Amino acid sequence: MAQVKSLHAGQGRITCVSHGPSVVFTELSATYPLKLLSPKLAQDAVAIVYVLSYGGGLINGDHVKIDVNVKDATMLMSPIHEGSTKVFKTRPGDRPSTRLGQPAHTTPNVTTYVTEATVAPGSALFLLPDPVTCFRAAAYSQTQRITLSRDASLVLLDWVTSGRKSLGEEWVFSRYHSLNEVFLEGHCIARDIMLLEGPPQVKTAEIAQSQGSSRTLQDRLKPYSCYATLILSGPLVQDVVAQLDKLYQSTTVFKTTSPARMVWALSPISEGKGYILRAAGLETEDVRNWLRESLQGFEDIVGVDTYLKLFA
Amino acid sequence: MDEYVLLLLADSNLPTGSFVASSGLESYNTHGFLARPHSASLLAFIHDSLHSYAHSALPVVSDAHRLVAALTEPVDLRGPLAALMSLDAFYESITLSRVARRASTSQGVAILTLYSKAFAPPDTHPLASLVDQLKLAVRRGDTPGHLPLCWGVLTSVLHLSLDRAQHLTLFLHARSLLSAAVRMNTIGPYLAQQLLLRDIRPILDTLVTQCATISTAVFIDSNRDRPGTDELPLNGPANTWPLGEILAMRHDLQHSRIFNS
Repeated sequence: MAQVKSLHAGQGRITCVSHGPSVVFTELSATYPLKLLSPKLAQDAVAIVYVLSYGGGLINGDHVKIDVNVKDATMLMSPIHEGSTKVFKTRPGDRPSTRLGQPAHTTPNVTTYVTEATVAPGSALFLLPDPVTCFRAAAYSQTQRITLSRDASLVLLDWVTSGRKSLGEEWVFSRYHSLNEVFLEGHCIARDIMLLEGPPQVKTAEIAQSQGSSRTLQDRLKPYSCYATLILSGPLVQDVVAQLDKLYQSTTVFKTTSPARMVWALSPISEGKGYILRAAGLETEDVRNWLRESLQGFEDIVGVDTYLKLFA
Repeated sequence: MDEYVLLLLADSNLPTGSFVASSGLESYNTHGFLARPHSASLLAFIHDSLHSYAHSALPVVSDAHRLVAALTEPVDLRGPLAALMSLDAFYESITLSRVARRASTSQGVAILTLYSKAFAPPDTHPLASLVDQLKLAVRRGDTPGHLPLCWGVLTSVLHLSLDRAQHLTLFLHARSLLSAAVRMNTIGPYLAQQLLLRDIRPILDTLVTQCATISTAVFIDSNRDRPGTDELPLNGPANTWPLGEILAMRHDLQHSRIFNS
């Protein structure tokens, strides 16, 4: 390595390059509460990094930042099956990751998660995290900024659930902000910016009246409890996109009287330089199962065994 | 002057092509989301649609308005035109549904045409030339010409105040949804007017207050195409209603439809 920079708390760095038929990590480091693991895969030219957080979740004030570099390889980033990335409630307090070298710009009580990736020509990045589950009153913000070179490929998944349904929490977190920014050869082909935030707390019914009937987050997002966005670009995704597009275009919607269990939509972005897919389901499992089936074409690229684990 | 322009721009005869847009309402209805009683369900749709529109399109209207309002004579138009095109490119980058882009660009160019054919002063004027050049850039395919951008430019060129332009933007969005609802026979014309007078007004006021200062600057000024920008644009423009977005994207899948979006 040319230079070894010290890492702040919650930071990670990943650089992988191809070395003959295998992929070598020239850099793979992370600091608490982030942990990166890279088991060996059977598939040639494919590597996987499992992203974990200690305790299986993030709390207020955690700031995770991962820098990724993919050169001449196909790299997957995925969680080891934890079910979802849990974001705990915002509360005053402290933990190690906030004390050590916290970047100055960040808001103290918001949990932030930034992934920044550069993908070299002919390489591919599959960013397939667990859905984010924000607990009651949690405030969370994430950014995925991907810079693609010519002929680089990207599969970027971003999904969020309504919360801990078993505890009766449905869309009762305080704020979820997610930005997916994709640049291709220096040109921004997509900025998917999602803000899920309930109405500001009102003190009396009178104020609520004067503000117009208030709509809660739950009002706005029901009946679904999981929303997913998938951004696809580059040569490696063409077959899967063609399949999805064929299925989508052949769909005809007749008037119904009640919402379907699962609903999804597909659209080209930036004159066909990429595609965006959005889906929603009554249960997170509906969306997970749908994704697993719909993206099965990627089995050929990542290997059957690896694929099975991605949406396990 | 301000009031007269306001009356003119609020006229439902204004040829902007908005009558072919339902902004996802038709699809929402087809997919079984418009429950009975229709008035409550429709109001909920309008509220959620306005909420997302105020967080995503209104910042572009505001910034385009501010940009044009800040111009002082004599003007070199290259700078402002480039800035408007960056703003347009930004809106293109956050508008990820083909259906929404189609509706937005067709109404955007209609706004520019409306200005040059109806509102432009007879003699040469720097602001009129700016609109002309923008229209030319759209025709050449150099910039998409989205509705919020063109609308912000138009209201500013006609000297409507920013606050009034912002209110008008959301009012027209709501009115256009109500007129679509009437054409879909979801509610009657009297109820539509009643909703507009009583229920929509406080919603508009709240949203303008909440969203008036949201700016696109955090994306456009910070060279975000270069890796290493750590600042999170937490308070910038955003879409706030993924359900509405998905259903609006599915517009073209409907077996029969009367609107274009």
